Amino acid sequence: MKHVDEFRDPELGQALAGEILGLVEPGRHYKFMEVCGGHTHSIYKFGIDDLLPANVELVHGPGCPVCVIPMGRVDDAIALAHEDNVIFTCFGDMLRVPGSDGTLLDAKAEGADIRMVYSPLDALRIAKANPDRDVIFMAIGFETTAPSTALTLKRAKSEGVANFFCMCNHVTIVPPLRALLDSPDLRLDGFIGPGHVSTVVGVRPFEFIPAEYGKPISVAGFEPLDVLHAIHMILTQLKEGRCEVENQYARVVPYEGNPRALQIMSEVFELRPHFEWRGMGFISQSGLKLSKAYADLDAEIRYSVPGVRVADPKACQCGEVLKGVIKPWECKVFGSGCTPERPIGTCMVSSEGACAAYYNYGRFAREREVV
Amino acid sequence: MSRLVVSAAAAFAPTAPVCEHTTGCITCGDVAIPMNVVRLDEARGLALCADDDGNSETVETDLVAPVAPGDRLLVHAGTAIARLNEEGPDEAR
Repeated sequence: MKHVDEFRDPELGQALAGEILGLVEPGRHYKFMEVCGGHTHSIYKFGIDDLLPANVELVHGPGCPVCVIPMGRVDDAIALAHEDNVIFTCFGDMLRVPGSDGTLLDAKAEGADIRMVYSPLDALRIAKANPDRDVIFMAIGFETTAPSTALTLKRAKSEGVANFFCMCNHVTIVPPLRALLDSPDLRLDGFIGPGHVSTVVGVRPFEFIPAEYGKPISVAGFEPLDVLHAIHMILTQLKEGRCEVENQYARVVPYEGNPRALQIMSEVFELRPHFEWRGMGFISQSGLKLSKAYADLDAEIRYSVPGVRVADPKACQCGEVLKGVIKPWECKVFGSGCTPERPIGTCMVSSEGACAAYYNYGRFAREREVV
Repeated sequence: MSRLVVSAAAAFAPTAPVCEHTTGCITCGDVAIPMNVVRLDEARGLALCADDDGNSETVETDLVAPVAPGDRLLVHAGTAIARLNEEGPDEAR
């Protein structure tokens, strides 16, 4: 497959791993955060951590959009799904995220008309096919997904689809990164930056990481050689005493992002004053809602939602996993009380969640031999 | 890929659609897949695109317009978010 196979070459991977070994200083421990859930998935799918020296540690960031949705928002979604004459649509992963009293899948079993979609456009099609019912799309995701929702809302308006509404849970990547960098819990040496978020926002928004916090970052693609190359770039910066934003994924990510996507997002969305993140609490200006021009399509204005903040289950340590403070297998309920089949925390629900990635790819080894 | 798995799951348990957890979901999160433009609906800003396994879907092309049949795009949640070029996006502009 073009643009895929050439980034999965095992010989090149071994060669890169050898160069990485030559870049690390013996006795120094390196801790890099992969911001994006897609990277977490690649790391465990392809066994990238097994190719790294023992003193290079990868910790998982808050970049899985399903994992960061708090229980209260799931409760709000379920309340909307139970409204009369509503068809509630969402991505598949959201169906299994526990709220305080069950999941959207449970609500579906109780009779709510909840349908899984692959895109906002699919939800709009359902709305057109059911003009007598209100169709609500539960929008989640970072800046990668927000333009897709924005385009669909624009399309709904321009085509006069009056029964299409959006429950907006879109979030932005920079505020949680700042929160992590300000956290005393975590000492990081560098970041593997989110590749597809950067196709939209560009590389510039990450310049504050080296400028204000003195940490290097490499925006990376998702194939195994991409991730290894990004680690190589970060280690090279550290060795040469540099600290900057580099773009490993330059074949896809323009420095300025996608201006058209940013323009449409600014037209359709506006920042919420604050938004709750699972395990991280409320973060200022980290979430999006529909702008005044699109308020008539806002499901939370058309219907009332409970809007109650619900504390995470005591046994669940998703918050610490999302902040990279503990590894998934260090959680008290990992693999016992919490499994992909019966998840307690969101990190075990989504395919991009760190716990699900650990669980699915059998990365239980807690100690690795020095390469 | 995921679409086929979901279809198979739905055949056995129609009330319980699931995402494919071992290969990742095409549309959730930050996952995007390369697809080729097959046919255009220029009036509506849509294109029929196919992935390397032959699965096809209708894709919003506004963010990368104009596109032509044969163009290779990176698609996320039914929207093309970038072009895949040999020389990289900045050089291509």
